[in-house]
Amino acid sequence: MAILRTEKLARHFGGLVALSGVSMEFRENEILGIIGPNGAGKTTFINVIAGIYLPTEGKIFFEGRDVSEMPAHRKCRLGIGRTFQLVRPLPGLSLVENVMVGSLFGKGLAKKEARRKAEELCGFLGLADLSRDISRMTALEIKKMEIARALAAQPKLLFLDEVMAGLNSDETQEMINTVRKIHKQGIAIGIVEHIMRVIRELTDRCVVLDWGEVIAEGPYEKVSADPMVIKAYLGEEA
Amino acid sequence: MRNSRYLLYLILFLILLTLPLYTGVYFLNVMDIILIYMALALSWDMLLRSGQISFGMAGLFGVGGYAAALLHLHTGMNPIVSIALGGGVAGALAWIIGSAVLQLRGMYFAIVTLALAEIFRVIVRNLPDLTGGPEGTVLPSAIFAGDSTRTYFLVLSVAVASVLASEIFQRTRIHFALTSIRNDEIVAKSSGIDVFKYLVFIFVVTSAIQGVVGGAYAHIYGFVSPEGSFSVDFTLLPIAMALLGGMHSTWGPVVGAVVLGVVSEFLKLQIPYGHLMVYGLIIVVAILFFPQGIVGTLGQKMKKTGSQ
Repeated sequence: MAILRTEKLARHFGGLVALSGVSMEFRENEILGIIGPNGAGKTTFINVIAGIYLPTEGKIFFEGRDVSEMPAHRKCRLGIGRTFQLVRPLPGLSLVENVMVGSLFGKGLAKKEARRKAEELCGFLGLADLSRDISRMTALEIKKMEIARALAAQPKLLFLDEVMAGLNSDETQEMINTVRKIHKQGIAIGIVEHIMRVIRELTDRCVVLDWGEVIAEGPYEKVSADPMVIKAYLGEEA
Repeated sequence: MRNSRYLLYLILFLILLTLPLYTGVYFLNVMDIILIYMALALSWDMLLRSGQISFGMAGLFGVGGYAAALLHLHTGMNPIVSIALGGGVAGALAWIIGSAVLQLRGMYFAIVTLALAEIFRVIVRNLPDLTGGPEGTVLPSAIFAGDSTRTYFLVLSVAVASVLASEIFQRTRIHFALTSIRNDEIVAKSSGIDVFKYLVFIFVVTSAIQGVVGGAYAHIYGFVSPEGSFSVDFTLLPIAMALLGGMHSTWGPVVGAVVLGVVSEFLKLQIPYGHLMVYGLIIVVAILFFPQGIVGTLGQKMKKTGSQ
């Protein structure tokens, strides 16, 4: 069953068409890869789904309900979670307090329970020393903290926007295991990634975007052999 | 550690409570001014915690003052009740205005608040039947017939209420919401925070505090006027105090108000009318050399020596 479905979704920025006619679905309990060259519209797609931008055209259905015009904070509470391509920690709040923002507002817990939930999630993701200032955290830890913050709102569908970028190969492997652990909890995942090893290992299915349009869809092995996809990534032979 | 801190607060509070027993009228009057500005500085800082800068404090202060004075004058209402209602009027006005303009952020919001203060002043000037026009309105008597001890207790309770409000904002989920909004609105929204609702809420609460302070001020001096009640002093001085003491905390504006309050009292005697220049200088020096303010800088120093 589809947990989220888009219907001819489009987003324009002035004259720039960032997304156009994107129809796809996210199935329950699946890891879907969203791939495509730089500027293909992957992050814009997440931003439109999450409610940061409203769609110019088209519809978004979450669990069968039309959420196209719904603002971001309500979508979060409904169960659409996300991380950010460029990490966005909140200075002025400690590690655990950053995570608490998700459980306080996304899940609507009282402060005490929100802290307990945040501590539990930090443990789940292997984050220690919870009252630390975020300036003393590594890139991997900040990425994990962002995942914890998103999980704290108890999403049903979680978007991971290039969580592996900038990590070394050990860290990447650790992150792959983390994503698997999250998925085992019954959370559907949409993952944007440039590292093809990650897509191959993790995803059940892939959607390829180019110039804001879906150009291919299917298991990684199938789309990676698709001539359209190869052309989009490598360009045409002169 | 924690207990000794609460003990300190208790002692401080007892000193403030017994102050009229061993000080004179002049000292109490100076305390009134410090406490009034302290409440304003706190309210300004509370809004700043959401990242929004207001230059409209004098406007809401003046509106609260006029509302309290006119309600008392025309309906014979108890002055204390009229002061509370002054806060209510300022809060209600902030709700209407905030709902309209809080889609704006940062400098754009700041400029709108600056304009609002001016607009209120012009309106008050031009409604002579209601407000007394450019000359203002004199109340039949100052509150408590000018009794300095009771006046001091009135101002003290307003200041303590502001400190408590500020601490509630620091210790509850409001703190998380405001800090998130200030640092990254996209993260705030994506984490389930209704940004607009929180901004309107904080604008209404801080404006209501400014209205109450304005109401108290009007009753203490028994007088409201367009130039006096909407004076730019009520915007600039609290900002200078919060910046000097340290932003985004309760103790910053409190310490800033005490330090600048004492300094300004001294300056008024030494260089009449020149004190505004000194405030400006203090703001510049504070921002340049210790942007964290007195409290923030000391806190950092203590943390450093503590960890060594």
